[in-house]
Amino acid sequence: MIGASLPRPDAVGKVTGATAYPGDLVRAGMAHLAVVYAGRPHARIRHIDTSAARALPGVLAVLTAADVPFNRFGLIDADAPVLCDDVVRYVGDRVALVVADDPASARAATALVRVDYEDLPLVGDVHAALHPDAPLLHPHRPGNIVHRLQIRRGDPDRGFAEADIVLSETFRTSWQEHAFLQPEAGVAWVDDDGRIVVETAGQWLHEDRRQIAAMLRLPEDRVVVRYAAIGGAFGGREDLGVQHLLALAAWVCRRHVALVWRRDESMATRHKRHPFTIETRWGARRDGTITAVAARLLADGGAYASTSQEVVKIATLFATGCYEVANVALEGLALYTNNVPSGAFRGFGSPQAQFASESMVTRLARALGIDPVEMRRRNLYREGSIEPSGEPLPPGVSVRACLDAVVDELARQPQSAPPAGWRRGWGVACGIKNVGYSFGYPEQATATVELSGADVIERAVVRTGVADVGQGSHLAMRQIAAAALGLALGQVHLISDDSAATPDAGSASASRLTLVAGRAVHDAALAALARWHDEERPACATVQFRPRATTPLAAADGAGRPNYCYGYTAQALEVDVDPATGACRVVTIISAHDVGRAINRQQVEGQIEGALAQALGYALMEEFQMRDGQVRTAGFSTYLLPTALDMAPRIIPLILEHADDQGPFGARGMSEMPLVPFAPALAAAIHDATGAWLSRQPMTPERVRAAVRRATAGEEQP
Amino acid sequence: MSTITVTVNGKAHTSTVEPRTLLVHYLREHLNLTGTHIGCDTSQCGACVVHVDGKSIKACTVLAVQVDGASVTTIEGLAPAGELHPLQEGFWECHGLQCGYCTPGMIMAAADLLQQNPNPSDDEVRHGLEGNLCRCTGYHNIVRAVQYAAAKMRGDEVTA
Repeated sequence: MIGASLPRPDAVGKVTGATAYPGDLVRAGMAHLAVVYAGRPHARIRHIDTSAARALPGVLAVLTAADVPFNRFGLIDADAPVLCDDVVRYVGDRVALVVADDPASARAATALVRVDYEDLPLVGDVHAALHPDAPLLHPHRPGNIVHRLQIRRGDPDRGFAEADIVLSETFRTSWQEHAFLQPEAGVAWVDDDGRIVVETAGQWLHEDRRQIAAMLRLPEDRVVVRYAAIGGAFGGREDLGVQHLLALAAWVCRRHVALVWRRDESMATRHKRHPFTIETRWGARRDGTITAVAARLLADGGAYASTSQEVVKIATLFATGCYEVANVALEGLALYTNNVPSGAFRGFGSPQAQFASESMVTRLARALGIDPVEMRRRNLYREGSIEPSGEPLPPGVSVRACLDAVVDELARQPQSAPPAGWRRGWGVACGIKNVGYSFGYPEQATATVELSGADVIERAVVRTGVADVGQGSHLAMRQIAAAALGLALGQVHLISDDSAATPDAGSASASRLTLVAGRAVHDAALAALARWHDEERPACATVQFRPRATTPLAAADGAGRPNYCYGYTAQALEVDVDPATGACRVVTIISAHDVGRAINRQQVEGQIEGALAQALGYALMEEFQMRDGQVRTAGFSTYLLPTALDMAPRIIPLILEHADDQGPFGARGMSEMPLVPFAPALAAAIHDATGAWLSRQPMTPERVRAAVRRATAGEEQP
Repeated sequence: MSTITVTVNGKAHTSTVEPRTLLVHYLREHLNLTGTHIGCDTSQCGACVVHVDGKSIKACTVLAVQVDGASVTTIEGLAPAGELHPLQEGFWECHGLQCGYCTPGMIMAAADLLQQNPNPSDDEVRHGLEGNLCRCTGYHNIVRAVQYAAAKMRGDEVTA
C-alpha cells in the first residue's frame, strides 16, 4: 500500500470529461457577476456613478465598497479592500461588482460604471518604493515596507578578512505567473438554513471560510466553502480570488450567482511569484571553505501584503542556501509598490534566494579551481549543522546523499555531441526548502476516522479538509489510512471538500499535506482502531497533529528555530546552447529528492516532473512584465509557457527515502523542491558550455547571447 | 440568430445560436457538454480541442455556425458509454494527468495524431501536442500515455 503506484481514482472522471470544475457548475437561472477593475495603478477615487450601469436591462445590482460589511481581506494582514473605497493601488484592484441576469449584460454594464479618479504618483518598483520622498501606499506602513528582517551570525567582517577570495554579484529574478489551466470560477448562494455557500476552487477551505465570514461579519458556521475539482493551484489560489466576490453578491442579492473569469482577468489581477533583486557577497578560503556571506534581498510585494512577509523571511533564511557559513549578514526587505501583488508560488522565496546562493558557490569554485561538486561537499549542511538563525537544523539532513545520488547518476550518462554549432554543458546545484509553516505560525492538521462493520472493519470514513489541487493528496490520504488500518483502498472513503463536513487540515501549500495532514490521518486511524478493539461501534476518533514548534526570528539578529522539517534536493542539467542566438535546450535533467518515504511513487515522480517544467519555464522563458504599473503580459500569447517541445526529453528522477521522524511512515514533503536548484544549475551549465555567467532570469535567448558575447570579448582581452 | 444542425457525439442537434457564438460555448452552454474546457480564451492552451469531421480543432477558434451540418466529437463521445478509449486508459494508467483540466483537449489532440500516425516517435508525439499546454505533469507521462494508447491501438503488448 505505502509506496505503491496506485492509479488515481479521480482519473476516470478527468479522462471522460465527467469531472466538474468550478466553471462547470454554472446553471440556468443563476445571476452572473462581472468585476469593474481599476485599470490604473494608483489613483484616488473621487466619485463612483453606477446609475447608467444599474439602468441597463438585465442588471440586478451594482455593488460598491458601501455594500461590503467589512471591506478588507488578506491571508496574513487584511490590508486589501474587497471593493476599493478611497484609493486604488494597482490595475487589478476591484472597484465595483455588477450582478446581472446573464454574463453579457454583466460585462456590458461594467463599462457603464463611471469612476472619477485623481491619479496619484506611481511607485513603479522597489527602488521607487525606497525613495525618501516616495508616496506611502499604505499610510500606516512607513517606508512602504511590508516586512524587513535581518539575520546576523558570527563576525562577517572577520569572515571576509579571512577569505582568500571574495566575489560579489547582483541577481535579478522576474515575476512568475502560476498559469494553472483552469481560470478562477465558482457559484454561491444562501441556503435554506441561512448559510452562505460558495463552491469554487482554492487551497484551504477553512481559511477561505474565515476570510469570507470576516468580510460578511458572520460567525464561521454560517459560511460553507466547498471545492469542486481544482484545476491546478501552485500557490496561486492561496489568496482569495473570486470566493469573496461570489459570497458578497449572493449574500447581498440573495440570488444564486456565478462568476467565471477570463484568462486575462486571472493574469492581470492575481498575485505572482515575487521578483527579487539580490545583492550578495561571498568569501572563501583557498581550500574551498566558505567564510562569510552578506546579502541584501529586495522583493517587490506589489500593492497588498498577501504573504510577502513570510516569503521574504524564507528567502533571507536561504540566502546562504544549504551551506553552513560561520559568518553571515543578511537583510531582507519586501516593499509595497503599485504592481500586481506578489505572494505564494511553489518554492515560496527559495528559488529566488538559491538562484543567487548556488550560482555564487559555483562561481567561487570556478575562481578557486575547485570542482563545483567538491566545493559543495566541503560546505554542505550535515546532521547538526547550524542554520543562519543560530540553531541546529531539524534532524534528517540529507542534502549530501542527494548530491551523491546525482553524481553517481551523472557518471552513468551516455556521451553524445550537441547539434552542429551548438555547445553542450553540464551544471549541478543543490537545494533546500522548508516543509510546512515557519516562524511560529500555528501549524496543525486535524482528521477524523470512523470505522464501521459487523465482525470485522468493513469501512473507514476519513474526514479532513485536504485540497487536492491535482497533486493527488486525496489518494495519498486514503493510502495512508488504508495502510494504518490494514484495509484495501476501496474500503477507505474520504470526505475532504466541504468546510462544514471536515476538520481543518491547513492549506495545500508549503509541501506540507503529506507530512502534516497525512500524520493526522495516520494517528486518527490508529486511535479509531484502538477504540474498535475496545468494542466501540462505530469506532470514531479525531486527532490533531502538531509538529515540533517553530519560533519567530528575533528582530535584532534573526535568532530562532524557523522550521520543523526541510526537504533536500540536488540536480544536474545537460544543456545545449546556441551561441549565435542564445537559445538553450535542456537535454537531460537528473533530479534527486529525499522524500522520506514515497506514499505513492508514481505521484511523487509526477510532482517532480511537473515542478521541473515550471522550473524550466521560470529559468528560461516565463517573464511576466509590468511597465508603469500596467500589465504587458496578460495572456498566453505574450506570457510563454513551456510546451511538450520545450520540456527536456530525458528526466531522471531519483527518489531517496531517509525516513522523517514526524511524517507518516517517514514521509516528508517534496512538491516544491524541484523548482529550487534548477535555475542555478542551468546558469552553471550555460557557463560550462560557453564561459558566460547569467545573473538574471529568465535566461532568455537575448540575455544568453549578450552574456556569451561579453564573455567572448573578455577572453580576447589581454 | 441562426439555426444550425450539428451531429455531436452521434446525436443530431438543431439549435438556435447567435452568429458570434463560439463552438466551445455552444458545446458547453447549449449542450451542457462541459468536458470541453476553456483555459486561455486566446487559442494557445488547447483545453478545448474537439474533432470536427474527424479532425482536431480548437473549439475556441471556430464559430458554432461554421459547424452547421458537420459532425463533432467531444471527449464525452470519444468512447462508447461505459468504455474507455485506449488514450483515456493510457492517461489513467500512465499518470498522464494531475489536475486534469488540460486532459480532454490533450486526449482529443492525441487521438487525431494517432489517426494520422499510428506509430509515432516520442519526438513526433511532442510535436503533435505542441498546441496543448499542461501546467502540472511536465509532459513526460503524457508522452508515455500516448505511446501506451498507440501500442494498444496497433495491437502491440502494452506496459503502463
